[in-house]
Amino acid sequence: MNKKTPYILIMPIVLLGVIFIFGVVNGIIQSFGYIPAFNLVNVTLSYYKEILSDPTFLDSLKVSLQISVISSVLAAILGIILTAALVYTGHTEGRVLQVIKLAIIIPHTIVALFSISILSQNGLLARVFYRSGLINTQRGFPLLLYTKNNLGIILGYIWKEVPFVAYFSLALMSGINNTLGEASENLGASKLKTFLYIILPLSMPAIRKAFLIILTFSFGAYDLPFLLGATVPKALPVQAHIEYIHPNLRHRPYTMAINGLILAVTWAMAGIYYLVTKKGRVKGDIHEEF
Amino acid sequence: MELELRNISVALSGKKILKSINLKVENGEFISLLGASGCGKSTLLKTIAGLINQDGGSVVLGGNIIDRTPAHKRRTVIVFQDLRLFPHMTVAENISFPLKMLGMDKNKRREEAINLLEKVRLEGYADKHVDKMSGGQIQRVALARALAAKPMVLLLDESFSSLDINLRKDMQELVLELQREYKITTILVTHDQEEALTMSDRIAFMHDGQIEQYDTPENIFKNPINTTVADYFSKGTYVHGKIINNKFISQLFSSNVDKENGEYKCLIRPSAIKINKFRNGEYTVEEKIYQGDSYLLKLNNTDSNLKLESIVPDFTTIIEGDRVNVELNGERLIFIPERQACS
Amino acid sequence: MKNFKSNKLLNIFLYISLFIISVPMVILLLWTFTGRWPWPNLLPKTYSLRAIKEIFAPHARIFQTLFSSMLLSLSVAILSVIIGIMTARALTLYDFAGKKLIAFLSIAPNLVPGTVFAMGIHIVFIHMLLSDTVLGVIIVHLVYTLPYSVSIMRDLTQSIGERLEMQAYVLGASPFKSFIYITLPLLVPGIKTSIGMAYIISSGQYFITLLIGGGKVKTFNMLMVPFIAKGDRALGSAYALIFMVSTLLILIITDRVTKKLPYQNDGRKYKWNWN
Repeated sequence: MNKKTPYILIMPIVLLGVIFIFGVVNGIIQSFGYIPAFNLVNVTLSYYKEILSDPTFLDSLKVSLQISVISSVLAAILGIILTAALVYTGHTEGRVLQVIKLAIIIPHTIVALFSISILSQNGLLARVFYRSGLINTQRGFPLLLYTKNNLGIILGYIWKEVPFVAYFSLALMSGINNTLGEASENLGASKLKTFLYIILPLSMPAIRKAFLIILTFSFGAYDLPFLLGATVPKALPVQAHIEYIHPNLRHRPYTMAINGLILAVTWAMAGIYYLVTKKGRVKGDIHEEF
Repeated sequence: MELELRNISVALSGKKILKSINLKVENGEFISLLGASGCGKSTLLKTIAGLINQDGGSVVLGGNIIDRTPAHKRRTVIVFQDLRLFPHMTVAENISFPLKMLGMDKNKRREEAINLLEKVRLEGYADKHVDKMSGGQIQRVALARALAAKPMVLLLDESFSSLDINLRKDMQELVLELQREYKITTILVTHDQEEALTMSDRIAFMHDGQIEQYDTPENIFKNPINTTVADYFSKGTYVHGKIINNKFISQLFSSNVDKENGEYKCLIRPSAIKINKFRNGEYTVEEKIYQGDSYLLKLNNTDSNLKLESIVPDFTTIIEGDRVNVELNGERLIFIPERQACS
Repeated sequence: MKNFKSNKLLNIFLYISLFIISVPMVILLLWTFTGRWPWPNLLPKTYSLRAIKEIFAPHARIFQTLFSSMLLSLSVAILSVIIGIMTARALTLYDFAGKKLIAFLSIAPNLVPGTVFAMGIHIVFIHMLLSDTVLGVIIVHLVYTLPYSVSIMRDLTQSIGERLEMQAYVLGASPFKSFIYITLPLLVPGIKTSIGMAYIISSGQYFITLLIGGGKVKTFNMLMVPFIAKGDRALGSAYALIFMVSTLLILIITDRVTKKLPYQNDGRKYKWNWN
């Protein structure tokens, strides 16, 4: 029983893993132009070449990168501060944390609704500005939605991701604060110095992981850019979907090439993450395989 | 620096942990806080260090009340039971961390760290990482780091309890050596009475959030103030009786003793008993337990059912079943007033 | 020891954060019961139950969609936990061929955005007759909930270890029984978190449900989108409100149910242990 047990235990995930790999591989194969069902049998890089020289695509790439990098970096910084705030004010459990968890429950579609209610030119923030005399008309309020600066989308991601980073890192930072933080203060380090020299460095494993998750997610996500994005340029996943549902089936390899490039960028982000963190990886990290 | 605790009381999560603690430790003195787990010893250390705020009372260091001084400025350094070395720093970096906080420059810090490593007999370990070292080595690094902080008071929280006997004795020697060299006022928290007896100038015995007795090791062992203290150091048999006119009278025996009149419990420890093999002796040897250099004999008085224990050398000819006579050494009997008998 | 100055700043930050999180929800509530809310009012001009009535109207069959959505996500959650426990157990307690591959696979979906995967697998599912089916949707949801479930159960399984099970064996319990009576109760905190996370992820999916479910399998989340994209904000807010309430309900029920189970251990997620 013992020798076979693990193999039985992993059967479900193997099954799902196969489906997963199939989906990814199929997409990649299609991106090279091999779609027998549509009578496309030449394996070629031409679709990639065309995409990469297409200004629409490059604009979309720029938009997606801007959104994901800006929102993730800001969310990580604010998330660290929020985690520290929770740890130092002793709110690691209870009502305050419940409110934070609430933000995690809300799907991006509802976040889009929030954005529209608050950040649109007709939204609550605009009305507050108007009431306090900062602007004279609706048009006076800056365009944050459906526009090239994509600020609405960035703020939307930040709204959801700051609580996520905090929730993800809280247990680790709290544990370290209780033991090593206490020792550090006892040895003469002020609270600030303790945070900078001891607590923050040792909490990095969790923070880094959270950062990678939100970075790759916001790059490849569909919901917010779809609901709040400009007409042109669109974020990459939205652009991909438009090509996907194009009635001319010969567009399909283009779609898959876009997807292939999304994958490439996502993996590049992960790769850079590993290279950068390998150097700074701290001895005594909590056990992490990846 | 002398340390004084005045009426310190601490409650955590609604429960009273420390109840009006009064304690004075002289400059350069080594005392032990001895007691069973849960009596509040570690809480007291953390209160002294400023990691816990007391609800009442004051901590006085060198004549100054330091209640308002933040933890990182008190120079009351704790070596925690779980040692808490910083995993992302080398040994030298760990040791020189407090020096960094004091503003010392890099080269001097490293010099001092290496110097301290020598004192704790870990030469050459400066650039090692702490996760590759043994328990005993880590202990010494923690000690060196505490010394680097130039403490006014050194607080050791059960620092040796996780070590095996030999390592423990080494560490105890090392700590005493350094303590005497640097003349640091030191408080050792321990539940091990032998450790307290061998290392301390004085012992503060704690029970249920209060200090029951604060005395030299000899006094606390020979003249425990109540049964809780007495039982912690050595078990024995209690016999009730009265002292009238300097004579202790009980159902079983009487003895001359210079104490005030009153009801007393007399504690008979094995060291107070001398036995002789005697055919018609009052006591039967029920069990004989080997202890290395000696035997522990469990004796039972067949008439009164009084049970005593005695320790005899290993060359004894007494065996189980023998009958013996018991002689009590009056000087080694311990008399505890009945009023204070239980706490 | 509290350093009051720095704590004050952090407290302010904390309360600002809580404010920023709560305000949108309050606005949502207001919009749900809004009749008219013209510029530049800060509060609705007239209140009305119109949006609520439309949702509860039987002909719209909105509650049917809600319940089937909840059922779908709940199924995903439960399956996710079960598979998570099995996989975590295999990865933590056993050595087997392909272990590293499985470990990698269990986190790989984090590196493949849902859109890419969905567009890649869509044709395959069409061939397998899985597209436009509930099963198909459950499968693709599982792909994205499993990384979290496996990770949570792995941490917990590792910290529990085999010690207690071994004790049970020598006391006469079969491996199966000792798992049920000893290990499973200890896994409860992880199960609770896992179900919660998986449910949230599944119910929050939009694109992959849209693509794989086609028009046939609709989740409640998807119903909201047309109203959010344009049009009836009151109705959109009402949907959102109901969505949030339903999700909270599931989470609360899960919490209550697991609280009633006999054993509650601490279940710390990141057990810092440098020894």
